[in-house]
Amino acid sequence: MRGRPELYTSYRQELSLLNTVPKRVWVGAILAMALLLPFMLQDDVLTLLATGFAASIGAIGLNIVTGYAGQVSLGHAFFLGLGAYTAAAVSGDEDARVIGFGITELPVWLLAAGLVAALAGAIVAPLAVRLRGLYLAIVTLGLVFIGEFVFKEWSELTGGQGVGRQAAVPTLFGQRLDTDGEMFTEIQKLYLLMLVLLVIFAVLARNFVRSRSGRALAAVRDRDIAAAVIGVNLTRYKMIAFAASSFYAGVAGALVYLISGYIEPTSFNLLLSVQYIAMILIGGVATISGSIMGAMFVTLLPRITDELQGVVPLLGTDATDLAQVRAILYGLLIIGFLIFEPRGLYGIWIRIRNYWKSWPFSY
Amino acid sequence: MSARRRVLAATVALLATAALATGCRGGDSGTAQEGKEGVKTDVGVTNEACPQAIDKAKGCIYLGTISDLTEGPFKALAVPITDAQKAFWKRVNEAGGIGGYEIDVTTYVKDNKYNPQVHNQVYQEIKPKVLALAQTLGSPTTAAILPDLKSGSVVSIPASWTSLWAFEDVVVESGANYCMESMNAVDYAVEEFKPKSVMAVHFAGDYGDDAAAGAKIAAEKNGLTFTDVKTAAGQDNQAGAIDAIVSGKPDLVILTTGPTEAAVVVGQAAARGFTGKFIGTAPTWNPGLLKSPAAPALKALYLQSGPWETFSADTPGHKAMRDALGTLPQANDGYTSGWIWSYPLKAALTKAVENKDLTRAGLLNAVKSLDTVDYEGMLPSSAGKYNGEPNETAFRQSVIGKPDESSVTGIMTIEKLFTGPTAKDFSFTKACYL
Repeated sequence: MRGRPELYTSYRQELSLLNTVPKRVWVGAILAMALLLPFMLQDDVLTLLATGFAASIGAIGLNIVTGYAGQVSLGHAFFLGLGAYTAAAVSGDEDARVIGFGITELPVWLLAAGLVAALAGAIVAPLAVRLRGLYLAIVTLGLVFIGEFVFKEWSELTGGQGVGRQAAVPTLFGQRLDTDGEMFTEIQKLYLLMLVLLVIFAVLARNFVRSRSGRALAAVRDRDIAAAVIGVNLTRYKMIAFAASSFYAGVAGALVYLISGYIEPTSFNLLLSVQYIAMILIGGVATISGSIMGAMFVTLLPRITDELQGVVPLLGTDATDLAQVRAILYGLLIIGFLIFEPRGLYGIWIRIRNYWKSWPFSY
Repeated sequence: MSARRRVLAATVALLATAALATGCRGGDSGTAQEGKEGVKTDVGVTNEACPQAIDKAKGCIYLGTISDLTEGPFKALAVPITDAQKAFWKRVNEAGGIGGYEIDVTTYVKDNKYNPQVHNQVYQEIKPKVLALAQTLGSPTTAAILPDLKSGSVVSIPASWTSLWAFEDVVVESGANYCMESMNAVDYAVEEFKPKSVMAVHFAGDYGDDAAAGAKIAAEKNGLTFTDVKTAAGQDNQAGAIDAIVSGKPDLVILTTGPTEAAVVVGQAAARGFTGKFIGTAPTWNPGLLKSPAAPALKALYLQSGPWETFSADTPGHKAMRDALGTLPQANDGYTSGWIWSYPLKAALTKAVENKDLTRAGLLNAVKSLDTVDYEGMLPSSAGKYNGEPNETAFRQSVIGKPDESSVTGIMTIEKLFTGPTAKDFSFTKACYL
């Protein structure tokens, strides 16, 4: 459409993944930038970014069940843990003190991590059919505590509390991804791996939520009774939401701990769940790009406070002080976003976008 | 058409930014440089002086410290260990440093909260900035970073005594390991109290499992019955262990926990009528225990094994340590341990500078060539042998002490460095607990 590029002439066009020209340009530019970063940034920043990418996959997962399907889940930490341990066990050393099967090929253990978590999600889902809102939140909260206990006690798998085990070992077509190679260093490889996986999982999720199933989830969220009346099978779609979300969580758990390299069973606690809730609240509920922004923001926050410390001397120099500053900042940000911008970072972006869209006649 | 132009413009802008920014990366590990006095260096060694340099003309060797400084079970020991090491290296710097360098152990001090995952995280943070680790506290925590230490040739001083370290070149341990220490403890008890049964009450993982393995070997050798009880960290988690002790009525309990757990276990077992003996491994004690409600029970039932003599011992090294630390609010054997552990690293650094190779690989080679280390009498210099099979180089002597308020650390040595028959005959071919 010469001269009127943004005019939609079909539903297909409007519902396409990248439905406007600026979107195409921006996504392309951001991707190109992300691909260039590993050759420009220092290792510590790359590690953080890679962790952020992996966490983004988990945040997308939580957004599917909580944002799109409206089922509040505090149990995300449990599914992250399941994924992390499945991956570690499948790829782990057979002769180590903890369970290991020695299958280090990445696609195998990544799929296994996702599937085991998805299975657990599907088992939990029937509860979600009977409960909603606060009650569902409490039940999923219970899941975190059960999971934490099992992880602590099952020392053949997890190494036990205070001991832990090595995380998954990644090889792709026989090549180790966690050692320095001739062309790329360890962290460059991991960064690129996480980037590629994030793109794959983000596109899959984006595709999923605009499909028939995705629209069904939104209907369940907006009014479950109305959805049931018009023929949406609640049991089926809540099951799908939980399974898909848990699959993402499992994959994210495997990947996040792949970067950090070591898993201690007490890390899968309520705090981790809350962190993921914070990611989607800060990023933007029921958006894929918001999940990514939120996850990146929350992952980079400790580093930002560390850097701020140099600028704002009041923050103190002690490691404990810093941790407290971080915790306070966390709380303030969640409250601030809920009050001032419930749509999260995504909402802020929409406002900026709309301002410039009609510039210079924006008001 | 306009879209295409915008894409083009964006791409050009991006490439320009990329070209500008490409210079940022670099300065990573691996590139050897020429340092002071023709010494080859790579990571963590600078020609600029340390931030708190005594002689500004000297270069600086940065050493990292990862310890349990705030909330973990060993903070009462870990803070003194870290302080003692600061004092140790300050003394080295005041005596002229090592070659053209002074040593900095204050810039990269990190807290591990005694959590292996946190330990690994902070290790990754400081790894690109330090030559070696002056301290990595804990056995399971250090095990978490061991593969990385080995692949990067990062020499590290453990603040733990697990028997695995004897088989790892990058980990430079001092003193008898938990395994040998517990063997000696059981042998000592056999000599003194003639026990019939031994129970090991211990944390899971490389610390507790190692001591339990040693106790088991010694129990078998002496024909005693042996039971094994695991317990978790935390004051509230000891009920199971106490029940096991009270109902099992062993004559001797080898205790491998933190100080808080030890106080709870000994105190409550005694309150419930248990009269057997306890022998705790070195990290189980903290002088504060003598002020706890468990103090009478500890004085009656508890003995303490350890890899070396306590803070107030009379050797040149102990004296130098006390002088360097000045007056302390509370003396503690964390200081003694932190100080003693540092000697082999000093010896290795000196040797590496002599070899003109202060790279990570160079330092590791220097460690592997050490035949003796001058511990200034705190340990025999033969304890610092790192160039042979563990079975022949492992140091097997340990001490036994008992709680006594008249000693500054609350522990009076009653049996100086000795090797029991079990440890003496033990064929040390792999870590005891594996």
